[in-house]
Amino acid sequence: MTTVTNKNTEGSGDVRLSGIGKTYGSFTAVHPLDLTVPQGSFFALLGASGCGKTTTLRMIAGLEEPTSGTVHLGDQEVTRLPPYKRPVNTVFQSYALFPHLDIFENVAFGLRRRGIKSVKKQVEEMLDLVQLGEQARKKPHQLSGGQQQRVAVARALINHPKVLLLDEPLGALDLKLRRQMQLELKRIQTEVGITFIHVTHDQEEAMTMADTVAVMNAGRVEQLGSPTDLYENPDTTFVANFLGTSNLIEAEVDSRSGDEIVLKAGGGKLVLPEARCSAPTTTGGKVLVGVRPEKITLTHADEAGEIPAGRNRITGKIADSSFIGVSTQYVIDSPVCPEFEVYAQNIDRDARLVPGADVVLHWNPAHTFGLDAAMDIDAGTEEEAAV
Amino acid sequence: MATLTEAPPPPTPTAPEKKPPRRRGRFTPYWLLLPGILWLLVFFALPMIYQASTSVQTGSLEEGYKVTWHFVTYWDALSGYWPQFLRSVAYAAAATVLCLLLGYPLAYLIAFRAGRWRNLIMILVIAPFFTSFLIRTLAWKTILADGGPVVGALNTLHVLDVTNWLGWTAGDRVLATPLAVVCGLTYNFLPFMILPLYTSLERIDGRLHEAAGDLYAKPWVTFRKVTFPLSMPGVVSGTLLTFIPAAGDYVNADLLGSTDTRMIGNVIQTQFLRILDYPTAAALSFILMAAILIMVTFYIRRSGTEDLV
Repeated sequence: MTTVTNKNTEGSGDVRLSGIGKTYGSFTAVHPLDLTVPQGSFFALLGASGCGKTTTLRMIAGLEEPTSGTVHLGDQEVTRLPPYKRPVNTVFQSYALFPHLDIFENVAFGLRRRGIKSVKKQVEEMLDLVQLGEQARKKPHQLSGGQQQRVAVARALINHPKVLLLDEPLGALDLKLRRQMQLELKRIQTEVGITFIHVTHDQEEAMTMADTVAVMNAGRVEQLGSPTDLYENPDTTFVANFLGTSNLIEAEVDSRSGDEIVLKAGGGKLVLPEARCSAPTTTGGKVLVGVRPEKITLTHADEAGEIPAGRNRITGKIADSSFIGVSTQYVIDSPVCPEFEVYAQNIDRDARLVPGADVVLHWNPAHTFGLDAAMDIDAGTEEEAAV
Repeated sequence: MATLTEAPPPPTPTAPEKKPPRRRGRFTPYWLLLPGILWLLVFFALPMIYQASTSVQTGSLEEGYKVTWHFVTYWDALSGYWPQFLRSVAYAAAATVLCLLLGYPLAYLIAFRAGRWRNLIMILVIAPFFTSFLIRTLAWKTILADGGPVVGALNTLHVLDVTNWLGWTAGDRVLATPLAVVCGLTYNFLPFMILPLYTSLERIDGRLHEAAGDLYAKPWVTFRKVTFPLSMPGVVSGTLLTFIPAAGDYVNADLLGSTDTRMIGNVIQTQFLRILDYPTAAALSFILMAAILIMVTFYIRRSGTEDLV
């Protein structure tokens, strides 16, 4: 049983999932998991398709009945409540707007079902919030994708739910509109202060929008934390590879000095702060050492002597480089790792750094993280996803 | 397509021929339409004109008929047979409502709940069509036979007391009563209701149901506010496909009814084939057609389905 609980203290409006799991026949979609989403936060469930994130969301919405565990919204247990009795609303993937109703009636739907008679003012305010006041009398199919998306948000938000659930709400939009809507959703969330639980497979989307991200893999929560925390201190190889790119090197524990661990990798030595290592370290044992590509500096082998002391260094040969505007991405063939990735800002480009050049890669040891060597080094990479 | 054109001048090697490509396909759509148009002309338009002219003729079989613009036939037909007209509309309407009440739940079941049984149930709906219309109607004679199990059960359950009181049945009999005719009509036209209903229900995105539930609609409210409005195209086409043929039907009234349940179809049939009063028969046909057209137009306007498409 995966136990991941947020550090925040429980508030009155928190969403609490305790031991919640879902199986379909012999297939386990979601392993029993514990999760607390603090009131008012923007929470993202991130993972590849089929990892159980949507199922988890649907269990909170009441659209799926959990096989085990309970769902609490604040003090209220809602595990067996049908969706229409839960104080949560969902923004569906592809929106599910009612095609026979105009925008106004779509937004008013929830209010009318709860027997509220005078809906005009509220609906108009809500349409203004999502900047669709002019479109009130149009039918959904007359709107663009981005506008439909905003209607879906307005239709859910107008009910002032305790929690707003968003199921890949931006999946159908093109990239530019998606960026725009990410900021828009974030603005709305800040404005209304309602808890948002956002399901997405787009790591960049999750990191831009959410306060807290839970990375899911194969029906389990791999790690939970703030975007910075997840990025800088991944607990598992899956998180390290799924969120951005990581260079992972297999190394052997050599010795310790103070709160630093010295490791042997290839011929050289690497230093890893003990606090940044999630794996047990016994002398002679193996660990996976990770470093993000943008933390690394490339220096031509001829100038290796100028590298300040105390930095982790690895030698290698440039196998490939691609210029992408703000940075240049290098692939380095090194004895410790065949495809070492390095992103270098295009500030002072060294003309000698072309494929075939011998280079030294070096970085601040504080940027190194350590993972359990028993884990699959390729978990969460695109290569793995393609299999 | 044979066209006479002058032989083109031989192309010069320096300037390759740049004539715009001849649009061979320009007339193709019309050629493709031709068989259909001819068919309609020969089997729809011409008979209609012929019938229209028949309806204003006078004369007798022996002396032959002549067009005398005798419009009084229409008035005579209407005043003589208005009870049968009304009865036809009433029976057809009753059968249509029954078809809708029976067909909607079944279509709903097939569209949303049947799962892997879907195809099997669809086949069961269509299967009766493999037997003749006449035989299926005759079968109802046996089903509703006097003293048969159905009538016996209805009698025991005192249903017949109610239907007798309503004037739908008479005494211990179901056969040869309005109820029998409506039963026959309902049975025979039920698939025409189910198929369009199923088609329009099946097109509804299941997520709309979830969305309605998520927005505080109880299942029944979801049905009323989302499912039913979205199935309106199916309801309209189903009711039309049931009502129109039922209003002109004469087989059910003939086999399951009595002289008191004669529908306008029976009258037209008798006029044409027994009494051989062609003008009256033709006039009755036109009145029936006009009446149905008016009712259907009014109905479509009211149901506002143009808005849904």
